Parts: sequence; structure tokens; C-alpha cells
Amino acid sequence: MSVGSGLERPQVVSHVQQGLSYTVFDCKWVPRSARLLCLGSAARGTGLIQLYELHGARLQLLREIEKPKPIKCGTFGATSLQQRYLATGDFDGNLNIWNLEAPEIPVYSVKGHKEIINSIDGVGGLGIGEGAPEIVTGSRDGTVKVWDPRQKDTPVANMEPVQGESKRDCWTVAFGNAYNQEERVVCAGYDNGDIKLFDLKTMSLRWETNIKNGVCSVEFDRKDINMNKLVATSLEGKFHVFDMRTQHPTKGFASVSEKAQKSTIWQVRHLPQNRDIFMTSGGSGSLHLWKYEYPAQRSKKDSEGSEMGVAGSVNLLQNVTLSTQPISSLDWSPDKKGLCVCGAFDQTVRVLIVTKLNKI
Amino acid sequence: MTRAAFCPAPLRCECWQPGWCPRPSGPSGLQLPACAAGPRRLRRGSVPGEPAAMPVWLRESGWRQTLTAVYLELPLRGARATPANIFCGEQYLKVSIPPFLFEAILYAPIDDTNSTAKIENENIFFTLYKKEPAIWDSLTLANADKEKLQHLRENAVLKAHEKAKEETEAKKITKQEHKKYALEATMKLEEAERKRIEDLKEKERQKVAKELELWKKQQKDAEKYESLQKKRELHQEIKPLKERKNEKMNKTRIPNEGTSKTRLKSTKGHGSSSMFSQNLKEEQLPAPRSAATIKVNFTPRVFPTALRESRVAEEEEWLHKQAEARRVINSDLSELEDLKEEEKNPDWLKDKGNKMFAMGNYLGAVNAYNLAVRLNNKLPLLYLNRAACHLKLRNLHKAIEDSSKALELLTPPVPDNENARVKAHVRRGTAFCQLELYTEGLQDYEAALKINPKNKNIEEDAEKIRHLIQGTMQSS
Repeated sequence: MSVGSGLERPQVVSHVQQGLSYTVFDCKWVPRSARLLCLGSAARGTGLIQLYELHGARLQLLREIEKPKPIKCGTFGATSLQQRYLATGDFDGNLNIWNLEAPEIPVYSVKGHKEIINSIDGVGGLGIGEGAPEIVTGSRDGTVKVWDPRQKDTPVANMEPVQGESKRDCWTVAFGNAYNQEERVVCAGYDNGDIKLFDLKTMSLRWETNIKNGVCSVEFDRKDINMNKLVATSLEGKFHVFDMRTQHPTKGFASVSEKAQKSTIWQVRHLPQNRDIFMTSGGSGSLHLWKYEYPAQRSKKDSEGSEMGVAGSVNLLQNVTLSTQPISSLDWSPDKKGLCVCGAFDQTVRVLIVTKLNKI
Repeated sequence: MTRAAFCPAPLRCECWQPGWCPRPSGPSGLQLPACAAGPRRLRRGSVPGEPAAMPVWLRESGWRQTLTAVYLELPLRGARATPANIFCGEQYLKVSIPPFLFEAILYAPIDDTNSTAKIENENIFFTLYKKEPAIWDSLTLANADKEKLQHLRENAVLKAHEKAKEETEAKKITKQEHKKYALEATMKLEEAERKRIEDLKEKERQKVAKELELWKKQQKDAEKYESLQKKRELHQEIKPLKERKNEKMNKTRIPNEGTSKTRLKSTKGHGSSSMFSQNLKEEQLPAPRSAATIKVNFTPRVFPTALRESRVAEEEEWLHKQAEARRVINSDLSELEDLKEEEKNPDWLKDKGNKMFAMGNYLGAVNAYNLAVRLNNKLPLLYLNRAACHLKLRNLHKAIEDSSKALELLTPPVPDNENARVKAHVRRGTAFCQLELYTEGLQDYEAALKINPKNKNIEEDAEKIRHLIQGTMQSS
């Protein structure tokens, strides 16, 4: 990628780099602010939540909260803009919702799973979308559970293996299709390559497929619209983009796949301000910025006359290698276009700015 | 002045002697292309420097001199001259076009680098620049005797040789310098290019940082403004809303009470007002979903590890082998008819063997495994367990054989048969060590460590073996 001729392309500029003294598993922007959170595990086996503020060219530590169990993932998705409560999943299977101003006692707490909660997502909060605020957690015990912070102890939906079936680890979960108060879907990716789409309105399995490699991360391009696109990343450097507007009765959703990096693609995150641009982070410490191009016709009729989706194409806009260790977490700022934070296994968190996104 | 190589012959000949070529073949006796002069006979033997046949002497037709130069004219009598035929030293001049020869020991030294020779059809015109401006009495040294001549000749030749060497050296050096210069120039160019790109990137970075600061400032200002607005609105609305709030508090449950503590966050002045507006919104949120469960089936996968496309082929092979191994039954033994039904099942026999091993009945266990192997010799675990028995019975060679056989059957190496492979390596290693073949034993322990680096016991044992090896090496 020659920079000289490609200055019209978006550039990924590393703004701040902060070394940490613990392993960071997840990093999230606090909505409506220039503050970010790092969640992780200290060397002595306890969990850490650190709150940083962006000051010029450095990050200033505002607060550090220590918890008994290491924390794997967190989300602000189900909380209102005023409260900004953080929902976290930890290594022990506990789901907690914290008020960061008074973090001693969680606002909501449940031992949701028997094993580590690998992934968490929230919907219905932050003024985005409609419907009840809900949190979904996916765990290594093979179950995916949906929680409502108003209901204690029991999940409002539980996707668990059939009796007697050996379980597969669930590695990632995502909400989508939440465009009115009733509709909602949960997409879950498992380590045996399964992707399953659960419809919460009808409480049924709507679609499943297998992409032949363990699924590391799934995300809809927007949670609060009629489901448009789903990106699923996997081991062995592959990711698939599914067009979710047209479901064929047997073939399911159309998809296009790219093999981008030689190693696992750990995360995919769509730009909040433009749903066709997304960034993937890889096990080789690199970030790739992609743009999806829609095809001329998004659906066509097959031989029997049923509608079938047509997948478009994906273009690489930019790539950059920041670290030698996997970049395991990535988050775009919902307030400033192009501002993002990423955390890597080399115990550093980096704030990056992606330029020229307006011109795409 | 161009000078000839030693041998005047235009074809290669090994003699390298000044003057004529004394023999037609080289010193090694090989048949070499004959000198252009034609075949010569070995008449006067191998005296170097003396031509075998009498040359035809050329004489200059005339010469003139000035204070600084000497002009010489040499008629060629029909011979063709090339620059290779002319040899000029500091005080020695020779033109050799076989069979013609012209030789002159000059009166005084000349500057042979600047002097020139002009070859025309019938003549050669020499322009020799004197080293010291003086008038020569004659062209050549008159009273030169043979030895002096010889001496001078050789000197001249040597000097010419040295000069040639120096010139090549000088050329080499200049070439190197030129290369260096070119390299430095390219490096500078590339450096400049890199710097330019860096500068561009730096500019982008700074621009972006400034924008970010600006945005932050805007956010802060916006927040302040909003908080002021809200405060004003609060004062107006506070009374009727308070009553409504009291109603709500009786109905709704805990999470909202958490927010009703009026904590004004320093950055957002929304605290108290938001509580009210949220209560209003509460009404609009739907009730929590009624709980339900969805049962899930997974795409079957035998291995507990995640699915990777590149490993699928290996895994398939391993599974295939396992399946085949179970199916194979060697049923061509007549003794089998005596056995009970369950004793014909290798798995049952394996279990029996395991039980006997646990109880300490090693011979019995070996018998059970033997029979199982006769029935089905493709199960690696049988060999593995039998190796353990042999170890206990101190049948070390048999233990090694069985571990090796087990390892053979445990290919291809997949995470599924990791444990089995580690055990096989450790057992074989132990057997080697007990036979005092420590190096082989260490190899096996290291192989086991490679598969499973976290096992402390294997590490400690490997260390012990290393010490043992070092001990025996020192003592021997």
C-alpha cells in the first residue's frame, strides 16, 4: 500500500498509545464523552475496569475499579444515555451491571452461566432503537441467554443445546433487527463454525449455517434497522458478509467472503456513522478498513421463482499493522467520526483516528 | 604507447617469453595451437629471450630529434603491424612482426606513457618524448653489450608489467569509488522520499489531533449550554412533575430508585431532570419478555477444539484410521473357537488388562493385551498399555518396541491423540534410561515436552537425565 499515491485514501493515524499493566480484553467508549473504558484481567487473577480520558496526546487515568473475577467483555448497549451503566461479563459466568459512579455494588447481578462469558451485547439503550433494553450473553457452556435488567435471576430467552447433545463454545453474540418494539433477533457464532440466528419475537431458530471455521465475531451493520448486513469473522483469516434483506427458504442468505489476513480475525466493527464501512482486526496485529459495495440488484428470482439475495463486493480501503500481538478488541466512538480505540494482547490500548471517511 | 604481451604470436601460446616462441607445444607437452609464426624447430634449445630462428632485423630509415622529442621512422618491408606488435619501455623499444624484428636500446630514458606510434601502410612513425630535455648523440646506446642488452630488455619488460598492474589497480579503485558514489546518491534519494512521506503523515496526524481538540471543546460547550437550559426548564416544571413522580414511585420497582438519588454528574447537568423524563419514558417501554427457551442443535464435531479449515484433512484421516482399526478383526486363528464371546472383543480384553495392571498383576495384563493384539493389531492403546506393563516387568526392550509401535499407529498427530503420544514418549524414554541409553531417552522426553510443555514431571525428569549425561561425559 503506497502512501504517496494513496493519500486520497483514508489513513489510520495512531493518536495515543498507552501501555497497561494488565491484559486488556475489551475497550469501549463511554457514550457522549471523550472517555474510554478498558476491561481486563490483572496478573493476580482479579478483574480491572479502568476509566481514561483523552487529553491532547495522552490518556489520563480517571478511575480504576478492581473486581474479584477477571472481566472478559462489556457493553453500554442496554443503558440510557443519562445513566450510562456498564454491563460486564466475567470469567466466572457472572453478568453484572455497574454504575461507574458507585461501583462497589452492582446495579444488577446474576450468575448467568457455568463458564466464562465470551461475548456480550446490549440493545434498546442509548437512545438507539425501540423496545425494552436487553442484554445477551454467549458463553463457553454453549448457551446464549437474553436478560432484561428489570427481571432478576432468570433470562428472558435461553438458547441451549438439546438434552444429551455435546455443547460447543459460543464465541460471539450480536443483536439486530430491532426496528420496532416487538422485533428483535440475536445472532450467535460458535467455535465449530455454526452461525445461528434466533428470532426473539417468535422464539425460534430463524436461520443457521456453518462457515467451516470457528466464528470469532459477528455484528449487524445496525442494530436498530430492518436487518441489512451481517459480518461474521472467523479463524484462518476469513470473513463473510451476509446480505440479510432476502432470505431464501433453502439457501438462506447470500454472502460474499474474503480471505484477508493470514491469522484469525478477532473483531469486526461497523462505523456508527456509515454502515457500509467496517474495520476488522487480526491476530497479526493489523487492522483492515473495508467498504461494502452493493450489487446492482439486491435480489433476484431463482429457478422456482422464490426470491434470492445477491451479495455485493468488499473493497479494502486501508490496512495498517500496529502490533505484533492480536488486536482483540475494537470500538468506534459514536460521537466523533473516525475515532476508535483498540486493545491488543501486548498490553497496550491505542486510540486511532481514521481520516478522510467523509470522502468515501 | 601500446605494448605487446610477451609472445608476439597472436594466438595463445604458453611460452610468455619476450621475443620468439622457442617451441611449438607448451611446457606441459600439450598440443597447443601453433604460434602464428608457424611451426618452429627446437634448434637452439630453451634459452629464453633468444629467438630460435634468426629474425630479420629491421632498421629505421631515419630519425630526427628536438630538445624534447625524438622522431623515428621505421619501414616495415611489407609486414603488417598492429599495436600488439609494438613494445616500448622506458629505455627500450621493440617492434616484433615475425619474422621481422626491430630492437633499440635508447640513448636516454623516454616518457613511454605519452609517446606515440603511428602505424601506416609501409611505415611506423614513432614520436618519443624525452624524459630529460637534452640532445642525444645517437639514437641507441652504442657500446651496449649483450648482457646489458638483456638486462635492459628484462627491466623494460618488468616495468611494463608493473605499469600494467598499476593501471588495472587504479581502474579498479576508480570503479569502486564510482559505485560507492552511485550508491550514496540512491540512498540520499530514497531517504528524501521517505522523509517526504513521513512529513505528510506527521501533518495528517497534527491536523487530526487539532480537529479532535476542537471537537472536544465543542462537546463541552454544548453540554454546558444544555445543562443551563435544563436548569431553567426544571424550575418551571418542578411542581407538577413532583406529584406525578410520587405516584410512580409506588408502582415501579428498584432500578429506578437507583437513579432517583440526585447526583448531579459534573460533566452532564442532567441528573435531576433526567430522572423525571425517564420516569415518563418508563411507561412507554414494553414489559420484559415472557421467558422462553429455544433448543439448539450443533453441527456435529468429534474434536473439542474449534473448527479450522486447514486442519480438516488431517482430522479426517485420524478419524478414518480409528474407525478402521476398530473394524479390523484377525479372525483366522483356530484357537479363537475356544474363547468365550466376550474374550473375542479387543475392547473387553483391554479393560481386563487395565484392571489387572491396576491390581499389580502385570503378567496377566500382558497376556490380555497379547490376545487383544492378535485379534486387532491396529489399536494404538493396546500397545501403549502393554508397554507400561513391560516397564513394570523390566522387559525394557519389549517396552521400547511397544511404545514405538504405538507411536507409529498414532499418526497423523492431532490434538485428540496428544495424551497418548505424550505417554508413549515418556514410557519409551524411561525404558531407554533404564537401559542406560540416556541420549535416546532424553530425545523421547524432549519430544514429550514438545507436545505438552506444561507437564512439570516430564520437565524434571528431562533435567535429571541431562545431568546424568553430563556426569557420564565428564567421567569418561
